[in-house]
Amino acid sequence: MSAFLTGAFLATLVAALFATRLYRLLMWYALNSLALGLLALLIGSGLNDPALIISGVLTLLLKAGVIPLVLKRLTQRFALTRQVTPDIKVHYAVVLIPAILVFTFYLAEPIGRMVGGNANSVAVAISSLFLALLLMMEHRNVAPKIIGFLMMENALFLLGTTATGGMPMLVELGIFFDLLIAIVVINLLFRREEAVE
Amino acid sequence: MILFELIAPIVVMFALSFLHADRVRALLALSAFAIMLPAVQLLLQDKPFPLLGDYLIADRLNTYVLLLASVVGAGVALALMTLQRHVQVHPRAYFRFYRFFALFWVGLEMAILSNHMGLYWIGLEMATLSTVYMIKTNATRAAHKEAWNYMIVGAIAISLILFGIILIYAGAKPVLGEEAMYFTALLGAADRIPSPFLFEMGFAIVTVGMFVKMGFFPMNLWLANVERASFYPVAALFSGILESAIMVGFFRFSDVAKIVNFSHLAGFIFVYALLTMFVVAFLIYRAKDFMRLFSLSGIEHMALIALFWTSGGTFAALLHFGAHAFIKPALFLSTGVLESQGRYHIAGALRGYRGLKGKLFWFVVGLLMLAIVSLPPSPMFFSELYGFGSMIALAKSGHHLPAMIAAIVLLLFLLSIIFYRFVELYQSMKYEGEAVEKRVYGSELAALLLFAVGALALLLPFSLAFLRSIA
Repeated sequence: MSAFLTGAFLATLVAALFATRLYRLLMWYALNSLALGLLALLIGSGLNDPALIISGVLTLLLKAGVIPLVLKRLTQRFALTRQVTPDIKVHYAVVLIPAILVFTFYLAEPIGRMVGGNANSVAVAISSLFLALLLMMEHRNVAPKIIGFLMMENALFLLGTTATGGMPMLVELGIFFDLLIAIVVINLLFRREEAVE
Repeated sequence: MILFELIAPIVVMFALSFLHADRVRALLALSAFAIMLPAVQLLLQDKPFPLLGDYLIADRLNTYVLLLASVVGAGVALALMTLQRHVQVHPRAYFRFYRFFALFWVGLEMAILSNHMGLYWIGLEMATLSTVYMIKTNATRAAHKEAWNYMIVGAIAISLILFGIILIYAGAKPVLGEEAMYFTALLGAADRIPSPFLFEMGFAIVTVGMFVKMGFFPMNLWLANVERASFYPVAALFSGILESAIMVGFFRFSDVAKIVNFSHLAGFIFVYALLTMFVVAFLIYRAKDFMRLFSLSGIEHMALIALFWTSGGTFAALLHFGAHAFIKPALFLSTGVLESQGRYHIAGALRGYRGLKGKLFWFVVGLLMLAIVSLPPSPMFFSELYGFGSMIALAKSGHHLPAMIAAIVLLLFLLSIIFYRFVELYQSMKYEGEAVEKRVYGSELAALLLFAVGALALLLPFSLAFLRSIA
């Protein structure tokens, strides 16, 4: 089951790389977070770790629910461009993305032997980091860049849950808190943009 | 008690910023000064001094950095008092600046004083996000664009740091459990880390994140552009405080990496820093305005500090660090006056000052311009001598003496390019162009003098002895 969720995490990210509409991108982000949240719940209940379960629930609530909805409302309120075509053409992306995947699995190969058990998830987390960076790079508009940043945050969480069996509670809460501040700052930046116009 | 004293001025600053009354401006500056008090108190305590359990511990290294940061904060607050006479700033934006300045301080105190990798990161992230809004106090299109730029690139850099921290934590968790988050525990168990590969990969990613944030190769110009678009106090905060907080993290992580595998660490940092120096030296040669010039020179100094620290020249690195933390914000603050004729008027920037204040201003700025390129009385001259000495000492103990000498010759060549450019600019500022009258206000001069005295105080015997004791 955890292998399926890890796969779903990667698959949603790859799908997001090909999305050309903003709402579709938000949907892939929500699904990505859904897979992550379920994975955290699964591992947390396996390890009997309340901290991980709490962070899983928070992920489901915030990242799969609240944040995509808030971003959607921001898009409507500030009339952002919803047609977001990636700068990297599809036929290049089709080559580039598997190349990144192969490279990161190769990079993570020695780690896998050491961490034990979750070797694949660590490799997926590292490749998601690179793919999220690619998502930020291939778009000119600001909104998909923000989603790329959020996807990167998800990759960090995946690494935190799978490689370490959950970070200390304090750190996880701190990360959530900072994510919320980031959303507030993004909102303020958009609002100021309106004032500048 | 000290923890309370650290937090109280910040809370006061945050609360006062909501009043939007002209009368509270002086109080806001005063609250920034009040942070110096606990920093000095911490200096007098026995080390290590636990502030909050194992989470926040003050040792010699971070009290030194906190003291530097608090002095810079006070100087910036002084310069902020006359900000609206040099640039157009909306009163609301002014108070909002202080509101985010308070948040910035919360993050910084957390990052500088933390003994916990997670807390360090949370502090750094908070400081980064609050500066986004400080950039926005300048209500221009360029500032708006750069605020977004900072948000995105800063978030990438910060995420890389966290990614590395998680890998390091995963590497050390089998022996240390949840203790693996503490720098002290990590340092104590560095030779027992079961998977050094995991640690080194984490360290490399953390370092790349930190270096991106400070503008190392290949992201040399992004910080310069951000600082160009924002008001000059923001640039002073970046160079004096935020980079200090990042550097503290670099010192702590690299201390562990030294034990895990020294030759990998040295190779990585030397290649990265030399590459950065190479690019930055030529960018400085081409810089056409003060803001970019000082910003790029900040990258140069950070690269030198990383090199000295990695070579084992702790004293040299910390002396260089202190000198940079005082001289660079002073220069950034002086750009408010220097650029009062427009951005690209370098010729004649040091002419046209009248009265005692004006004369003192151009004299101090001239000295600082020459101090930043390590002309002898400057602390940077001594730190570079000691730093190169430690690089030679390192090479003698290994088998890389010719390579190290080549590296030092390259460094000296690049430093001489930078030196030439700064001296050329100084001459152009002083002897070319027309003398157009410029106004200098008391508070700016006070800030400059504060920084100049701070830089000189680094050379006092007891401060040198304190720096030596940190190693």
